[in-house]
Amino acid sequence: MSLMFDTWVLFVRAIKKLIRTPILLFFSLFQPIIFLVLFTQLFKNFGQLPGFPGGNYLQFAVAGIILQNGFSSALQSGTSIVDDLTSGFLQKVLVTPVNRSAILLGRLLSDAFRVLVQSAIILVLAFALGATVVTGIPGILLIFLTVAFFGLAWSGISLTIGLRTKSAETVFGIGGTLTFPLLFMSSALVPVGFMPGWIQTVSKLNPISYTVDAVRVLTSTGFDWGTILSAYAVIGGIAIVTLGATLYLFRKVVS
Amino acid sequence: MYIVSDILIRTAFEGLRDSMSEIITVKDLVEVYSDGTKAIQRISFDVDEGQFFGFLGPNGAGKSTTIKVLTTLLRKTSGAVTVAGYDLDKDPKEIRKLIGVQSQETVVDGDLTGKENMILQGNLHQMRGRSLEERVDELLKLVELSDVAKKRAAFYSGGMKKRLDLASALVHRPKLLFLDEPTTGLDPQSRATMWTYLGKLNKDEGITIFLTTQYMEEADKLCRQVSIIDRGQIVASGSPSELKQEIGADAITLSFAEDDERNGGAKAKARELLAAIPGVGNIVDSDSGMTVYAKDASSMIVDIVRAFDANQLHLSSINLSRPSLDDVFLKHTGHRIRTEELVKPPSGMRFRRGRR
Ligand SMILES: Nc1ncnc2c1ncn2[C@@H]1O[C@H](COP(=O)(O)OP(=O)(O)OP(=O)(O)O)[C@@H](O)[C@H]1O
Ligand SMILES: [Mg+2]
Repeated sequence: MSLMFDTWVLFVRAIKKLIRTPILLFFSLFQPIIFLVLFTQLFKNFGQLPGFPGGNYLQFAVAGIILQNGFSSALQSGTSIVDDLTSGFLQKVLVTPVNRSAILLGRLLSDAFRVLVQSAIILVLAFALGATVVTGIPGILLIFLTVAFFGLAWSGISLTIGLRTKSAETVFGIGGTLTFPLLFMSSALVPVGFMPGWIQTVSKLNPISYTVDAVRVLTSTGFDWGTILSAYAVIGGIAIVTLGATLYLFRKVVS
Repeated sequence: MYIVSDILIRTAFEGLRDSMSEIITVKDLVEVYSDGTKAIQRISFDVDEGQFFGFLGPNGAGKSTTIKVLTTLLRKTSGAVTVAGYDLDKDPKEIRKLIGVQSQETVVDGDLTGKENMILQGNLHQMRGRSLEERVDELLKLVELSDVAKKRAAFYSGGMKKRLDLASALVHRPKLLFLDEPTTGLDPQSRATMWTYLGKLNKDEGITIFLTTQYMEEADKLCRQVSIIDRGQIVASGSPSELKQEIGADAITLSFAEDDERNGGAKAKARELLAAIPGVGNIVDSDSGMTVYAKDASSMIVDIVRAFDANQLHLSSINLSRPSLDDVFLKHTGHRIRTEELVKPPSGMRFRRGRR
C-alpha cells in the first residue's frame, strides 16, 4: 500500500522533472534521430549489397537505433541519483517514513518510462521514413517491453557507478565511453557477416547484440521465440548483477 | 513531617515529569565518522516537550552531526537516544512520522513549484487529497509564499527557498522540529521574519523546536534552553539568563596593540596589574587580548587604563559589556565563537521586492 503510493509519488516527481528540463530529453533523442535520418541515408546502398539481410538498411537499422537510445538514456539514470544525493533531496526523503524500496523503484520505473516514450518517438519517425514492423501491434508492444527491460538492466550499471562514486561526471564519462564501442561492436548497425573476424567474435559476446537481434526479428522477420527468449535470458542475467549491486549500494547509503 | 511530605511530593512530581515531558533524551552519545573523525565526543542532554531548545556552537562543533543522528539519518557509534518517545535504534520509522527536519543546506526541488514541493512532502508522509491541499495552502500563507506558490522553486530567492524548506518540514504537523542553522546566510530582515515564524510555531502550535545556530544573539533571543557545544562536547547548559548569571559580572574586553600582543610578557604583566585592582574577578585570555569580569566594571576602566599606561602596556581597545552568551562560551572554552559575516545575501535576492 505505502510501497505503491510512495513509488507512484516519486515516479511522478521524476517524470515532472524530466518534462520540465526538455533539453535533457532533446539531447538523448538527438543522437538516435541523427542516426536514424543520417545513417540510413548514408548507408542506404548497403542494403543492395549481396547477402544484406532483408535488402533494406533502414529496416535493418531501426532495431539497433531503438536499442542505442535505450542504452544511452539508461546510462544517464545514475546522474539523477547523484543529483539527489548531492542536493540533499535524498536525505530529505529519508527523514520521512517513506518506504525505502519506493525510492529506488520510483527511479527505475521513471527510467523505463522515459525509454519507452523515446522509443515510441523513434519508431514513429522510422515509420515515416518507410520502416515497418512485420509483427504488428503485438510485436510493437513486445518491442517496448524488451526495450524497457533492457533499459532497466542498464540503468543498474549507471546507478551503481553513481552510488559508488557520487559523481555525475564519472557517470557521464563512463557511460559515454561505453556507449560507442559496445554499440559498434554489436549487431546494432552492421550485419555480423559484414564485420572483420575479431569484431564478429566481440559482437557475439556483446549482450547488446542479443537484444538487438530480438528486436530485429520482431521488426523484420516474425515471432522467433528462440531469439527473443535468449535475449530475455541475457538481459535477465545482466539485470540480476547490476540491480543487485545497485540494491546493495543503495542499502549502504540509506542506513 | 511537613518537610518530608514536601520532599516526597516533589520527588513524585519530578518522576512524573521525567517520564512524561522529555521529548528527546540523549545519554553518552558518541559519533565517530568512518574516517576516524570524532565529531561527537560523548554528550548527554534532555529536551522537554514544548521547549525551544538551542544548540549553540561554532563551525565544526558537531551540531549537524547531532541532528543527523537524532533524525535517523546517521547511525550513532554509541550511546542511548530516544526521540519523541521512541528508541532511536528500535523505532526509527515511528520517529520519522513525528519529526520535521530542515537541514543546513536548503533543499527544495527547483524543477517543481513551491506548492508541488510541499505536496510531495505531504505525500511522503502518507497525506493526500483535500486535507493535504488545505494544509499546504495554510502553510504557504504562513511563510508568505502564496503569491509565488505556482512558480518553480528554482526561481525563488535564497530567503524564499529557506521559508519553503521550513514550510515543507511542517506539512505533516510534526510534534518536534529540527532546524539546522535556519538563519545562516539570511539578511537581517529575513532573519527577523524567520524568528517571528519560529516563535509562533513554538508558542501558538506548541511544537517543540531543536535549533542549531552559530549566533549567540539568536540563541539568546529565541531559546529558553541552550546547550553550548564545542569540538564535540557540551561545555555548558541552561537557560540563556542562567548561563549569563553564572558569569556573575560585566565583561571588560581588552585588546593589546599588535607588538605588545606578540610579546608574551605583556599578557603576564597585564594579568599581574589587573589582579592588583580591587574588585576584579575572573581573568580569561582570548585570541587578541583578555577579558576581565567584574561586578562594577564601569568604575574600574579608569583604574585599568591608568595602571597600563604607567607600565607602558599599549591597549588598542577597551570595551565594556553586559555578559553575553559569547562570554559564557569564552569562559568555558577559552576562545570566542568566530562570528563570521552575519550578512551574506543569498544569490537571487535582487528580484525579491519586485515580485512580492
Ligand atoms: N561525513 C563526514 N566524514 C568525516 N567527518 C565529518 C563528516 N561530516 C562532518 N565531519 C566532521 O565532523 C565534525 C563536526 O561537523 P558538523 O558538520 O557536525 O559541524 P557543525 O557544528 O554542524 O558545523 P557548521 O556550523 O560548520 O555546520 C567536523 O570536524 C567535520 O569536519
Ligand atoms: Mg552544521
